[in-house]
Amino acid sequence: MGTRSYIAAALLGALAIASGASAAGADTPGVTSKEILIGGTIPLTGPASAYASVAKGAAAYFKYVNAHGGVNKRKIKYVYRNDEYDPVKTFDRTRELVQQDHVFAIYNTLGTETNLAIRGYLNQVKVPQLFVASGASTWGRDYKKYPWTIGYQPSYVAEATIYGRYIARTAPKSRIGVLYQDDDYGKDLLAGLERGLGKKKGLIVSKQGYAVTDDNVKSQMARLKAKRANTLMVFATPKFAIQSYSTARQLGWRPKVYVNAVASAANIMTIATLSSSKRQTEGSISVVFLKDPTDPRWRRDKAVTLFRSILKKYNGGKGLNDVYNVYGMSSAFTMVDALKHAGKNPTRDSVMKAATHLNERNNPFVLPGIAVKTSPTKRFPLAQAKLERYHNGRWVYFGPLVGVR
Amino acid sequence: MRAIARTGLRVLVVGVAIGVMIVLPSYVSDFHSRDLAQAGVFFIAIVGLNIVTGYAGQVSLGHGALMAIGGYTSANLVAYHGVRDVWTIPLAGLLTGAIGLLVGLPALRLSGLYLALATFGLSVAMPSILKHFSGVTGGDLGLRLVEEAPEKITGLSGTVTIWGHTLTQNHFLYYLTWSIALVLFVAAWALLRSGTGRAFRAIRDSELAAESFGVNRALYKTLAFGISGFYAGIAGSLLVVSAEIVNPLSFTFLLSITLLVGTVVGGLGSLSGMIVGAFFLQYLPDLSDRVSSAPGVASVVYGAVIILVMILLPGGVGGALKRFSDPLTTRLYTRSQ
Repeated sequence: MGTRSYIAAALLGALAIASGASAAGADTPGVTSKEILIGGTIPLTGPASAYASVAKGAAAYFKYVNAHGGVNKRKIKYVYRNDEYDPVKTFDRTRELVQQDHVFAIYNTLGTETNLAIRGYLNQVKVPQLFVASGASTWGRDYKKYPWTIGYQPSYVAEATIYGRYIARTAPKSRIGVLYQDDDYGKDLLAGLERGLGKKKGLIVSKQGYAVTDDNVKSQMARLKAKRANTLMVFATPKFAIQSYSTARQLGWRPKVYVNAVASAANIMTIATLSSSKRQTEGSISVVFLKDPTDPRWRRDKAVTLFRSILKKYNGGKGLNDVYNVYGMSSAFTMVDALKHAGKNPTRDSVMKAATHLNERNNPFVLPGIAVKTSPTKRFPLAQAKLERYHNGRWVYFGPLVGVR
Repeated sequence: MRAIARTGLRVLVVGVAIGVMIVLPSYVSDFHSRDLAQAGVFFIAIVGLNIVTGYAGQVSLGHGALMAIGGYTSANLVAYHGVRDVWTIPLAGLLTGAIGLLVGLPALRLSGLYLALATFGLSVAMPSILKHFSGVTGGDLGLRLVEEAPEKITGLSGTVTIWGHTLTQNHFLYYLTWSIALVLFVAAWALLRSGTGRAFRAIRDSELAAESFGVNRALYKTLAFGISGFYAGIAGSLLVVSAEIVNPLSFTFLLSITLLVGTVVGGLGSLSGMIVGAFFLQYLPDLSDRVSSAPGVASVVYGAVIILVMILLPGGVGGALKRFSDPLTTRLYTRSQ
């Protein structure tokens, strides 16, 4: 521990010294007079390949920005490599991006374990790890030890806090059963739920964990039902979330379901409905912070229209209904914003400074009213969301914006 | 005279090869020396596999699992016991060698395809075994050395200084891997020329005949697995020392099959062919990827090349070398008369 904190202190010290003398713009890796090179990894194949749109949406947006002059006359070149969602490959590809391609920064790498695998290395070599595509709270929380890392989306703790508060306020007599993935991500959600419930923590009658390597969640679901829970928290990735709906139906159990945002995309809910029933998914609750391109509310919205035209022009017209593409563009918008504020000759220090001083009220891809805001000690760019309810095969959001850190 | 000519030629070839390997990093990018180091890891593993399969005739599809034991030994020692990464390499080799002896036990009763299947079973089971003992292995998530013990990783800051010479971390890994590879290569060569090597070959050619000549079948079979395990352990350890991270996906059954492919392509029963086998394993996947990014194409190319090599070089590269070098040594012999 002693050595670790020593290293952290050394890193912080180096950061402080370096930011004091940021005149060395010419030697910044990945930055030329015409181009800024950034890179990251994403699962293009394998079980998590649905998330590939997170990179593709961002890449399309950068091409659009480049076609309109780029950032301070520089084009943004974004390379993303396939890591198959395997942290060992993430580390290997990231090292290649840093040592071989000499990227300016690592950006938008997706996944909790994958990003944990490279965080120590990137902070050691002082390469920014920007806008991590994962909701683990450690990206925003542990900045003292990892000053070169910053997250993006609302944290899992924040999300579950919103559920907890909502239940405590609107249904204080619930009997809550929790199904959660037994790792850092699932435990973050569980902690958030308990925080949100506060004094009503006793409403939780049972918590059932599953391992990512499990085949199904049947036994967990049966135990939750046996505890006579009437409210079910699904803190699970898409495959298991879909299973929890179908298993509940097989058990003849119809609890009120809260499904976490990483499994509540419209297309996943459609599969969940098909594998259970309309009545089973009806009334489910989740949170939303992006404009869902399938929501009729945004049919004529400027940003969603732009979103479609960008995909048509730079992504072969693919993924028009894919909310992960919206995520990618939202994140890319923030990246462009950070680069603009990193000065005429951006350095790794200056972009880190910009990323920790964001104040974006005009990101068109997030829900109206949501600000992308950070400070050196508050490193959660997106920290607001709205509750949404699944009704007649669509998500409909309701209530005010809720902000939680 | 003929034998002298042959040995002379060999020494010359090996000398040139060593010279090339020493200067090679200067001609490629710094990061590329890491790939070359990785080829060295494959080289060590398949030289070891060749001892048991090519010389002692015991087909093993379990060497990926043995590499896992070496790799995890290093990872565990660095992450949980604060041992400097490079010192874990010999320990990993010794422990894996001991496990290799145990793996050799089924070989006493099984042979040919049945032994291949039994060792394959070990490879298939290994990821689950690793997940099960999560207290030692970190379970599904594996071990991240940079987070657990950054101060024990040689060259994490980017450079390594040895006796006043400063090397980049990638060059350090390259020279470390290939120096170990050279030592192990020479050791294997000496071993296979000794009585032990003759006993291995006798068992391969006919167990019955070997035994009737007084070769202790049980001893030499398990010994071959033990030595081979030592090599696999060193290779697995070097893999983890260079990757600085390990998880169960690093050592799937595919690795075991890959190693056997490399050995067969290099030439069963040929040590020098292994260098080609190692580079084949390291670069073919990359080259196939470059053919087309369309899904599936790379695998088809990879498979097709293997089939092609087997048709054109049925004895592997080693077999072809022998065919080529025999007449040459004969010519040299004739001229020296």
